[in-house]
Amino acid sequence: MSLSANPLERRLQLSGILLILGLLIEAICLFRARPLSFLAFLAVGGTFLFLGLVVYLLSLVSVRPTSRRSDS
Amino acid sequence: MPLATGLIIALVLISISLIGVFVVRPGITATQGGKVMAFLVLFFLPILCTGLGVSSELERSKTTKFCLSCHIMESYGQSLRVDDPTYLAAAHFQNHRVPAEEACYTCHANYAMFGSMKAKMAGLRHVYVYYFTKPPAPENIKLHEPYNNRECLHCHLGARSFEQGAVHTADPDLLPALKANKLSCVSSGCHEVVHNVGTLSKVKMWDGQP
Repeated sequence: MSLSANPLERRLQLSGILLILGLLIEAICLFRARPLSFLAFLAVGGTFLFLGLVVYLLSLVSVRPTSRRSDS
Repeated sequence: MPLATGLIIALVLISISLIGVFVVRPGITATQGGKVMAFLVLFFLPILCTGLGVSSELERSKTTKFCLSCHIMESYGQSLRVDDPTYLAAAHFQNHRVPAEEACYTCHANYAMFGSMKAKMAGLRHVYVYYFTKPPAPENIKLHEPYNNRECLHCHLGARSFEQGAVHTADPDLLPALKANKLSCVSSGCHEVVHNVGTLSKVKMWDGQP
């Protein structure tokens, strides 16, 4: 799998990868009820998820009308 | 594993699969429907999963098993099984005066405003001390602040055994002092044997199930 040449789609892919990493870490942490799992869930999983959401939201606000026209 | 946690993990795995579709085929966001789906999958679902996960983790962090999962707390777990009614923690645990599944949290949570949050913050500090500093020996662990009678009175206030107990009513000044937290329940010579983990090797243990 390669990243798309389209900037918007590339950001969406990057956002998706970060979200998948965050959710995977959270899923693993949910398997074990231990203090370190709790911390990893919040700190590591939460950070990846937050970054993924930020990249997704940035991809929404950074779309340029010119680039949309050139895509179509 | 509790059913709720299993369902959350299932939802997380479904979300990962759906996000994977957008990673492999980002072009589907070109249509109106694709954009709506992208919002649901890349924004709404991850937040939902994390919210449910945090809620599940916070609930699990109240369990006795969670607290005793740190090696340093093992002797405190053993102290719940001392076969001696003068051991306050053991008497509460074995007689279901506190829920056996949440024994630590029930007595060590602060019942004032934001008490639950303060308990979580204290727990984070415990994790920090345990993993990043040299933790004290179990028998040398001290409370951050003197034990507040408020935590005892959360259950015992109004109870007949507390309000009309022979020792409690022998001195008319005793109950008001206890209720005002001027005289501690656990350090006044009355209920001062609580965990006493330093003496566990010398006492008999109860092998029943609470």
